Amino acid sequence: MSQANLLTIVVFLPLAGAVAAAFFPPAEPKQHKALALIVTVATFLASLGLWFGFDAAPGAREFQFEVQAPWIPSLGIGFHLGLDGVALLLVMLTTALTPIVVLSSWNAVHERVKEFMIAMLVLETAMLGSFAALDLILFYVFWEAVLVPMYLLIGIWGSENRLYATVKFFVFTFVASVLMLVAIIYVGAKAGGTFDYVQVRQVLQVSGPAQRWLFLAFAVAFAVKVPMFPLHTWLPDAHTEAPTAGSVILAGVLLKMGTFGFFRYALPLFPEATLHYRTAIAALAVIGIVYGALMCLVQKDMKRLVAYSSVSHMGFVMLGLMALTAEGLTGGVYQMLNHGVSTGALFLLVGMLYERRHTRAIAEYGGVAKRVPWIAAVFVVVTLSSIGLPGTNGFVGEFLILSGTWLAKLAHSPWFSAVGATGVILGAVYMLLLVERVFFGPLQNKKNAGLLDLSLREWVVIAPLLVLIGVMGLMPQPFLDPARQPVDRLLSRFAQVERRLQESDPARPPTTGTQPPALAGRE
Amino acid sequence: MTGIIVSPADVTSMLPVAILVAGALVLLMTEVFLTSGRRGYMAGLTVVTAVLAALAALATPPAGRVFGGMAVVDAFSTFVTVIVCGGLALSALVGAPWLHARGAERGEFYALSLFATSGMVLLGSAADLLVAFIAIEVMSLATYALAAWMRRGRKPAEAAFKYFLLGAFSSALLLYGAALVYGATGSTLFADLSRASGSLLFCGVALVGAGLAFKIAAVPFHLWTPDVYEGAPTPVTAFMAAGVKTAAFAVLTRVALAVWAGAGASSTSFGAVIAWLAILTMLFGNLLAIPQRSVKRMLAYSSIAHAGYLLVGVVSAAAVGGRESALSGLLFYLAAYTATVIGAFAVVGALERRDDAAGREAADAWDLSRLSGLARRRPGLAFAMAIFMLSLAGVPPTAGFIGKLLIFKAAINAQAYPLAVIGVLTSALGAYYYLRVVVFMYMRAPEAGEEGALTLGPALSVALALSAAAVVVLGVGPGPIAELARAASVIGQ
Repeated sequence: MSQANLLTIVVFLPLAGAVAAAFFPPAEPKQHKALALIVTVATFLASLGLWFGFDAAPGAREFQFEVQAPWIPSLGIGFHLGLDGVALLLVMLTTALTPIVVLSSWNAVHERVKEFMIAMLVLETAMLGSFAALDLILFYVFWEAVLVPMYLLIGIWGSENRLYATVKFFVFTFVASVLMLVAIIYVGAKAGGTFDYVQVRQVLQVSGPAQRWLFLAFAVAFAVKVPMFPLHTWLPDAHTEAPTAGSVILAGVLLKMGTFGFFRYALPLFPEATLHYRTAIAALAVIGIVYGALMCLVQKDMKRLVAYSSVSHMGFVMLGLMALTAEGLTGGVYQMLNHGVSTGALFLLVGMLYERRHTRAIAEYGGVAKRVPWIAAVFVVVTLSSIGLPGTNGFVGEFLILSGTWLAKLAHSPWFSAVGATGVILGAVYMLLLVERVFFGPLQNKKNAGLLDLSLREWVVIAPLLVLIGVMGLMPQPFLDPARQPVDRLLSRFAQVERRLQESDPARPPTTGTQPPALAGRE
Repeated sequence: MTGIIVSPADVTSMLPVAILVAGALVLLMTEVFLTSGRRGYMAGLTVVTAVLAALAALATPPAGRVFGGMAVVDAFSTFVTVIVCGGLALSALVGAPWLHARGAERGEFYALSLFATSGMVLLGSAADLLVAFIAIEVMSLATYALAAWMRRGRKPAEAAFKYFLLGAFSSALLLYGAALVYGATGSTLFADLSRASGSLLFCGVALVGAGLAFKIAAVPFHLWTPDVYEGAPTPVTAFMAAGVKTAAFAVLTRVALAVWAGAGASSTSFGAVIAWLAILTMLFGNLLAIPQRSVKRMLAYSSIAHAGYLLVGVVSAAAVGGRESALSGLLFYLAAYTATVIGAFAVVGALERRDDAAGREAADAWDLSRLSGLARRRPGLAFAMAIFMLSLAGVPPTAGFIGKLLIFKAAINAQAYPLAVIGVLTSALGAYYYLRVVVFMYMRAPEAGEEGALTLGPALSVALALSAAAVVVLGVGPGPIAELARAASVIGQ
C-alpha cells in the first residue's frame, strides 16, 4: 500500500528532518534555516499527494491512507493512522502553514537557530500525528508531544514575559489533558481492551452518568485548547509572548486541535452526553464570541487584540459544531480553516511590523500606510477576510454557522444565532478600528518614518495566504467537499441515537438535524 | 519449618546473589593489596559483576520455592534482579567520576554497593518475614555506610545518622511485626499470613507494613527522605532512589498479595490503608516538591511522589482480575523510574558545586541556578536532563509516560477511579516543578563565572547515554519490556 506509506511519510518527514538537523553544526544557522525550509516544503509537496489522492465521493472509505501496525500489542495499543476529510483539511492546513512560518522567521530568529528549527519540525510531526492518529493512546501521545516544542518556542524565543506565559500555557493544557488520559483508559477498558478508534466507536457502550463524566473529561481537555470561555485565559498571554512563528502555529493549527477533538472524539464517542451538555456549550461559545470581541475593543497591544479575536472566532466554530446541523458542522469545519489562514496571516503581518519597530503597541503606530502601502493593503485584505466580508473565505464559514445554528433544533437556537451575529458586527468594529489606528491618519510618530515595505521574502510568505483567502471565498466547494462525508456520518450517528432515545421516551422532541427553513414554521 | 534441607537447586537459584557477593569480596581484597592509586578498573569490575548477576538470573530457570518455601525464585524476582543490577551498574558508572573528583574513590564503596545489591536481590525473592528482615538488613547496613561515605561534611554526617537511626527504627517495627505474626499464625512464611485472622495478626501485619512504608518512603513515613537524599553522596542517592525502592516494593507487593489471599476483614482494611497511603504520598510528595530550590531535594520529594504512583499499582493488584496488569505496570514503572532517576541524579552530580578548598560545604551546591543556561554550556547534558524531567513528569513519548499509563490502566481495571484521578492530577502538579528545571536550563542565561567548560568523562557520559536511551526506548517502543513485565507478573505464592 504505497498510499498508506504516503501518510506515514508526511507525518514523520519533519521528525526525520529534525533528527538530521541535530547533526549539523549549531554555528551555521543558514544551514538549519535551509534544511527546515526544504523539509517543510517537501512535506507540503508530499501532502499534496494526499489531497489529490483523497476520494471525497459519497460511499468512499471513511478513513483513507490507513496504516496499521502493532505498537504495544499486549495493551491493545496500535500504530493506526488514517485520514477522513476533516483530518485531511487540517493536515493540509498544517503542512501549508509550516513552511510559511519557517520562512517568516528567517530574519526574526537570531539566537539558537538550530534549536528553533528542530523544535519547529518536531512540532509539525506532533501536529500532523494528532490529526492522523486513529488510536486513542497514539492520539494522546501526539497531543501531548505538541506541548513540549511549543513550550520551548514560547519560553526561549518569546518576548519579555515569556516564562510566565509558557508555564501557564503548559500547565493549563497539561492539567486538562491528563483527565482525558484517565477517560481514554476507561474507554479502552470498556471497549474490551482496545484503544483503536474505529473499534472503540463501534463497540463502546457506556451508561448515562459514566458517559457524561467521560464526555466532560474529553471536553475540558479540548475546550482548553480551543480555547472556550472561561478556560481561555492562557491564550492571550501565550499569543502575546510567543514569537511570530509560535503565534501563527498556535492560532493556525493548535487551536484547531481542540475543535477537531470535539468533532472526532467527544461528539461521536459520547453522543448522548453531547446532547445533554449541548445547550450549555453553545451558550459558552456565544459568550466567548461576544466576550472575545468586546475584549478586542479595549486592547492596546496588536497581538493581544488578534489573540482575543481568536477566542471570538473559535467560539463561532464551537457554536457551529453544537448546532448539529449539516450547515453548522460544515461551517464549523470551514471556519477552522479560515481562522487558520486569516489569523495566521494577521499574526504574520503584526510580526512583520514588530520586526521593523520592535513594539506591538497600537499607539506607537498611526498613518504608516504612507510608508508601507503594501503592508497596509495586505492587512486590509486579511482584515476583510477576518471579519467575514462576502467574497472572502470568512463569509462562507460564518454564514454557514449562523444559518446552521438558526435552523438547529436546539432550544433557543435563534437567540444563539442572533447574539452570535453581534460578534460579526463587533468583529468589523474592532478590526477596522485597528486598521485605522495603525495604518491611516497622520503619520505622527517619527520613528515610523523610515519603515520599509514588504521585501521579496515577505511577499513569498504572505502571498499564498492571500491567494487562499480569495480562492476559499469565491470557490469554497473543493474545500467543502472533503468535509461532507464526515459531517453526514456524524449526523447519521446522532440520528441513530435520537431514534433510540425516542423509543425509550416517545415524548422527546427531536433535537438534531435541520428545522424546515421557513421562519413561519417556528413556534 | 525445622530442619531445612538445602538442595543443590536451592543453591543454584541464589547464583546472582553469590556472584554479587563474590564481586564485592574481590573488590575488598584488591583494595587491601592495591599498591598504586589507580582505581579506574573498580567501577568496571562492578559493572561486569552486575551484568553477570543479571545474566545469571535470566539464564537460570525460575526454581519456584526454595529453601523450604522461605524464598521464591520466579519471573517476578528475576525481573527485580535485573532492575536492581541495572541500577547498580548505572550508579557505579555515575559514582566513579564523582568519587574520583573528590579523592574518595575506594574499593569499599563498590564492595558496599555490591553487598547492598545482593540484599536487594534476596529481598526480591523473600517469601518469609525473617528472610525479608535479613535481606533488608544486608541491604540497609551497606546503604547506611554508603550514605556516610563523605562523612566529614555536616550534611552527609547528619544524613547518614538520620538514615541509620530511622532505618534501625523501621527494622525494629518490622521485626516486632514479624514476631506478632508468628504469635498469631505460628509461622513467618508470607503464605501463612492469610491462614489466621484476628487483632494480633492485624497488628503484626500493620507493623510489618509500617516498616516497609519507611523503606519505600511513603507519606507519613517519609520524613527522613529529603534530608538523607540531599545529604548522601549524589551517586548513592541515585542508587537508593532506584535500588532500595525497587527491592522494598518487591517485598511489599509479595506481603500485600499474601494478605489479600485471605478473605478476612483485615485484608480489605489492609487494602484501604495502602490506598490512603498512596493518596497521601502522591499528594504530599508533589506538593512539597514545588517550593524546593535545591534540585537534589526536589528529586527527593519527587521520589516520594513516585512511591505514591507505585503504591497505586500495589493497590490495584488487590483484585485478582486486575493483578496481572497491576503487577506488570508496577514492574515496568520500576524499570522506567530506575533509568530516569539515576540519569537525573547523574546530571545533578555532574553539576553540583564542590566543597571549597577549606572543606566548607557550599550552601547552594544543588541550587536550581546551577542549571541556568545549561543548554548553551552543554547542550547534550541539558537535553538528557530535559528527557529525564519529562519522563518524571510523565509526558509522552518517554518511559515515565508509559509507566504511568500502565499504572493508571491497572487502577481503572481495578475500578479504583479516585486513585487514578488523583494520580493524574498530582502528576500534572509535578509537571510544574519538573518543567522549572527545563526553564532554568533552556530559558535562562548562564550565571556569571559558570560559563566554563564542564567535563563529564567517559564513564558518566556512558551512564547518561544509557539511561537517556533507555528512557526514550521504553517510551517509544515499550512493547518488548512491557511483554517481559507481563510475563513476570505471575507471582509464585
